[in-house]
Amino acid sequence: MNSTSTSDLILDIKNLSLSFKIEYFKHDGLRDHFISMLKNPIVKLLQKSDRLKVLDEISLQVRKGERLGIIGVNGAGKTTLCRCINEMIYPDYGSIKVNGTKRAIFNSAIGILPELTGRENAELLAAILYPELSTRELEEILADSIEFSELGHFIDTPYKNFSKGMQARLCLSLISAKGCDLLILDEVYDGADEFFRRKIVDRIHRLISSSGAVILVSHNPEQILSSCNRLVLLNNAKIEFDGAVEEGMSVYRNLMTVERKSL
Amino acid sequence: MKSLGIFWRQVRLLTYANLKSRYRKTFAGFIWVVASPIVIYYIQSLVFKKFLKLDIPDYSLFLLGGLLPWIFITGTLEMCTPIFTTRAELLKSFRLSPYVLILSQIFDNFLNFLLAFLLLLIPMSLLQGKYSLGTAFLPLAMLQLVIGVTGIASLFALMQVFLRDIRYILPFITNVLFFLTPIFYPIEIVPEQYRVFIEANPFYLMISPFRLCIHQFEINSFFMALFKGSLVSFSFLAMSYYAWKRRMNEFYLYL
Repeated sequence: MNSTSTSDLILDIKNLSLSFKIEYFKHDGLRDHFISMLKNPIVKLLQKSDRLKVLDEISLQVRKGERLGIIGVNGAGKTTLCRCINEMIYPDYGSIKVNGTKRAIFNSAIGILPELTGRENAELLAAILYPELSTRELEEILADSIEFSELGHFIDTPYKNFSKGMQARLCLSLISAKGCDLLILDEVYDGADEFFRRKIVDRIHRLISSSGAVILVSHNPEQILSSCNRLVLLNNAKIEFDGAVEEGMSVYRNLMTVERKSL
Repeated sequence: MKSLGIFWRQVRLLTYANLKSRYRKTFAGFIWVVASPIVIYYIQSLVFKKFLKLDIPDYSLFLLGGLLPWIFITGTLEMCTPIFTTRAELLKSFRLSPYVLILSQIFDNFLNFLLAFLLLLIPMSLLQGKYSLGTAFLPLAMLQLVIGVTGIASLFALMQVFLRDIRYILPFITNVLFFLTPIFYPIEIVPEQYRVFIEANPFYLMISPFRLCIHQFEINSFFMALFKGSLVSFSFLAMSYYAWKRRMNEFYLYL
């Protein structure tokens, strides 16, 4: 798998570690802080917070042409890892290097301003997803995406009236409109109907063949099996498995069985 | 440099979209947004000038210079404080700087404030035939005001992510501060022993240069007020930046 040259390397993660502070006495508001301060000021002042390891010494390389599926139970660190790659969260230790452009989406049923029309929201989404492009290039992407989404005249109706499936169509059409070196899709096919999901998967496959790599995060084994050619299983903030998809799926199923028995 | 260009482009697009969204609903929406501060201004002007008979020369200009910036500050804080939590799904879905949301909301409010202010100032100046040299310094005072509002609004918005009742505490704070900020009364009527508290009020310090531009302008007083206001504004901006740097990793966790 790693026999390709370093020029094919798109993502290089080395010893990535990230932890979050856990507050044992979690307060939702200033009022709670105030009350607990009045009730027991010494406990309040001396209370310590611990840290929860979310990613522990993760090292990962992704090369051109790879469609990497990331799977794991809830809280395994899948989304956090993707957010680190997308520079939304910064690691405590380790490094992330992306050779080329990257684009990520973590929810496909999202609008910017629901009062505006689908087209106006698409314009804003395009500007956020493709910030480096010129106005003219954005217009081309917009025209292509609107056509691909097959939303017809609905595109000029208020976005707040769109169903989740229609929102997913628009977002997925936009994100897959232009190739990039690394595309990150985190649980994004869920809102789309079966017909459109197949259509978008085909479009993404075509994009990959003409550009870089994809990271797909999903809980759905079928999606991973049909879309990916490599699988990483995250468990307890570490990489438990990295290799062929079928083999990884069987490791994942075994892990799930063990977890269910332990409950 | 390139990322800064992208940032400002996104702010501009979202400000425009905000304005469009706000005014789209109805024409009455536009009237409401602009007319609301104007109505508040006329009511307060009537109460304090005619009913309470406050003896202040050019009271209309005096009130205009204090009340309109106050409405801009409190209105912006009210809209910006919950912005990260109400737009959490958007922030979690793409890589979008949270400051794009804050700034686009501030600029949207600023344009409405500017429009309402000019709608009041221009006819007032024409009718009274009074033109102050200070109006030439309004852009400086406004810049200082916007910087200060950006600092406070982003600080409150960040706090709201971690302490979910900030948005409910905010109206209480602004209601109290309304009476402790010399908006409808001059600071000179405050007894000497209390004046120090009023002079330490950051909202007063931020509003003061703006008011001086249109009421009793004097260049030395203006620059002194601008210096104090800028000090407060940049301090809030620095505090907000420090708080963001410290908590930015937990930001997405708490959203």
